[in-house]
Amino acid sequence: MVPISQAWKVASYVAVQKYIKGNKRYPLVLMLEPLFRCNLACAGCGKIQYPDHVLSKRLSPQQCFDAVEECGAPMVSIPGGEPLIHPEIKEIVEGLVARKKYIYLCTNALLLKRKLDLFTPSKYLTFSIHLDGLKENHDTAVCRDGTYDTAVEAIKEAVKRGFRVCTNTTLFNHAKPEEVREFFDVAMDLGVEGMMLSPGYVYEKAPDQGGFLHKDSSKALFKQILDKPKKSWKFNLSPLFLKFLQGDYDFECTPWGSPAYNVFGWQKPCYLLQDGYVKTFKEYIELTDWDNYGNKSDNPKCQDCMVHCGFEPSAVDATFGSWAGFMATAKATMAA
Amino acid sequence: MPADIKTDPSSHRAASLEGNVFVCQSDADRIASIDQAFDYRGDVTLQVRGETVEGYIFNRDASAKPPRIEMFLKGSDEPRIIPYADIESIAFTGKDTANGKSWDAWVSKKASERQAEIERLAAEAAERGHL
Repeated sequence: MVPISQAWKVASYVAVQKYIKGNKRYPLVLMLEPLFRCNLACAGCGKIQYPDHVLSKRLSPQQCFDAVEECGAPMVSIPGGEPLIHPEIKEIVEGLVARKKYIYLCTNALLLKRKLDLFTPSKYLTFSIHLDGLKENHDTAVCRDGTYDTAVEAIKEAVKRGFRVCTNTTLFNHAKPEEVREFFDVAMDLGVEGMMLSPGYVYEKAPDQGGFLHKDSSKALFKQILDKPKKSWKFNLSPLFLKFLQGDYDFECTPWGSPAYNVFGWQKPCYLLQDGYVKTFKEYIELTDWDNYGNKSDNPKCQDCMVHCGFEPSAVDATFGSWAGFMATAKATMAA
Repeated sequence: MPADIKTDPSSHRAASLEGNVFVCQSDADRIASIDQAFDYRGDVTLQVRGETVEGYIFNRDASAKPPRIEMFLKGSDEPRIIPYADIESIAFTGKDTANGKSWDAWVSKKASERQAEIERLAAEAAERGHL
């Protein structure tokens, strides 16, 4: 579970955006990609396939700070590529902590143990460790043996040193519910603060009957995985998003809730789709044709998407947007 | 060098475009070719008013006035902006880095091929000091 200070900061930020500033579209988590280069090449990953001269480009710390200030979101997720490769990741993290942003540094943890000395434990810094299951499943997913063991060792060391640590798991339809539940037990035993999970985004899915089945099968899968959750399981996700994954609550996507900034600029419309780039966050909000995206649109790329970065902001907005949403969240929290 | 010359980019949605050249003979050709180049995960070579320009197209804005692309040239940090109207041809000269990277493609490879790829990628990462 996230600290109360973080929950309060997010709740008060949402309240100000919705009820004082009257912003229809506001960001919740900035997806700050300081580079695309990675030290893994997971099959199916669509994030890192670029020519070498593009992979060599990086955001400077100042570019990161400018994007964070411009966006104004209370939380910053730092994915990539592998952010621990960035030679100035220490400066980037320190600068964001100084700005009191809640950071989720997303890493495969291959370099984490070696680089832990660069960082200081803080309530603002969480290492979000990519683990797609137990050893066999994870190593298969990332296409390299030994990755699971390295990540687990790094998690133990980071927890021992007092860092906030959570796991970040992407699940596809071939996941086996019992194995995922077993993984949850193991992850919590490692001492992580909580777990994040999301269905994978299938980039090439066609908008046909099979596509709808895919979404339904995702819900069925999460229903099995999250059925009668153990008390020991803690998720760094809003309760309504977990309900959404199981098909018990419905949302429209909130693509502007997790805007992405990288070496190309502000990415339209979201972290997963690349329909173009603009130079400022203001342009991103004002010039993106939002009607073209989301489950209700005719956009085939959106029809099967249930991914965390689009729907967690919807869940948070629903929680603080109405009494019904707030009460549903309270009920889900108490039931967990 | 490109293997052939084609002027109908709309017929090449499914396969990798690596090695193809699109000569822009009309505005419709040009727009379709630019859309393809924008989606392409490799470098392209453009003929721009007689000049040869090579790099990665990361942005295109057909609604801008005038419509334009943005690309990173090799060895340059500043993006270059090129109006649509100035583009005479687009050659997909760089390696398509996304080609064959799907999960299905990975699974369909022989175990020995997968292992060889794993070792090659690990060696490259280690060489850069990233492991």
